[in-house]
Amino acid sequence: MDYNGGSVIAMLGKDCVAIAADLRLGNQALGISADFQRVFPITDRIYLGLPGLATDVATLYERFRFRVNMYTIKEGREIEPETFAHLVSSTLYERRFGPYFVEPVMAGISRTPTGKIKPFIAATDLIGCLNFAKDFVVAGTASQKLYGVAEGLWEPDLEPEDLFETISQTMLNAVDRDAFSGWGAVVHVITKDKVVTRTLKGRMD
Amino acid sequence: MVSLAQQQPIQQSFNPYTENGGTILAVSGADFSVIAGDTRQSEGYNIQTRYAPKVFKLTDKAVLAVNGFAADGNMFVKKVKQRLEWYRHAHAKDMPIRSIARLIQTMLYARRFFPYYVYNILGGIEEDGTGAVYSFDPVGSYEREACRAAGAAQSLVQPFLDNQIYFKNQTPAPGTSFPQHLPLQTVLALVIDSFTGATERHIEVGDGLEMYVVLSRGSTALQSLQSIRGVQEITATNDGERVFVIRKELKKD
Repeated sequence: MDYNGGSVIAMLGKDCVAIAADLRLGNQALGISADFQRVFPITDRIYLGLPGLATDVATLYERFRFRVNMYTIKEGREIEPETFAHLVSSTLYERRFGPYFVEPVMAGISRTPTGKIKPFIAATDLIGCLNFAKDFVVAGTASQKLYGVAEGLWEPDLEPEDLFETISQTMLNAVDRDAFSGWGAVVHVITKDKVVTRTLKGRMD
Repeated sequence: MVSLAQQQPIQQSFNPYTENGGTILAVSGADFSVIAGDTRQSEGYNIQTRYAPKVFKLTDKAVLAVNGFAADGNMFVKKVKQRLEWYRHAHAKDMPIRSIARLIQTMLYARRFFPYYVYNILGGIEEDGTGAVYSFDPVGSYEREACRAAGAAQSLVQPFLDNQIYFKNQTPAPGTSFPQHLPLQTVLALVIDSFTGATERHIEVGDGLEMYVVLSRGSTALQSLQSIRGVQEITATNDGERVFVIRKELKKD
């Protein structure tokens, strides 16, 4: 899991969610790229972060793109975040005994049958065991550090701007103590009518 | 029954070390120091006891926190205390904290090839009255710092402290600057938050929290300390430095 490095975190806010990832791609201790995107838009309001083995990140993103497209065509509508989480889970569990080395993290906003909106985050392990958390989910080489900082900074019902600050500080301070993560970060804050994407400058050592 | 001649040699091995979990943490202020540790002692998934202190008062100006292999830790504290007593008999005063730090280095390095399997954090008051924290590795490498976490949840707590104590990745508002030292109340709040956070996410941290506070002569932090419920003074001399301990419960699951 730490061959290429990288970390992702997602947090829940008040009618909003945020997902952040670092930009480092490495070959063991050697840094290769400071511009490696590991968070991908799945629909207008679902984002997926894929920390782990870079070759599997690329492969899985293409598989998810294919399966989401097939779903959209067959159902004639966009996939809901909960459904997508189960799609991720079953895709990974298909390879139960020869897994993809990724730990997906997803964030999105779902619409309930009554028309209300519900922020959503989830993560799975490399074989697809789902974790629907009510606060935050983390994954990658800096996961322990992310847990520690997030546990100290996060609070319930944060507004989008405060959620952005919280997730950014959590990400930057966690990756600064991790040799395999860092080299800048990207943050997406998803609200019901827009997604704000910001690229953060980070320590380059 | 296999005859003796056919028996394969069986390799026996004895591992002299275990890891007993737990976490310690120390922060220094302008004229005080806070040294804290949880009280859980575990071996693997088994909790051996919910109350095993890891933080020890050495003198009225020095407190030592020890984390790692508990048997080595207790033995090491015992030997440091013994050396400090000899110093008292020889010089009729307590050893200064910078000298205790150097003593700990030589004591640890003396065992370079069969080390005490412990991380030490020494907190207290320097001779000039400023708060001090010294942190050590198991073979005696040491450094004076403003704050340090060690042990099972070091990776959870240290980046949080970088952010909240050193203000890493934060920019002060225009025309202002971040304080070099934080007030005691803020430090205690951060220490409690660090341990409740670590307790939430790490199985080896929990049960109880002991926070030692060392105040320098005439420290202004005294008022804010006396307003805290359950604070206990354990000062022994009239040198001016005062030592307090605050005990708190942590989650036991």
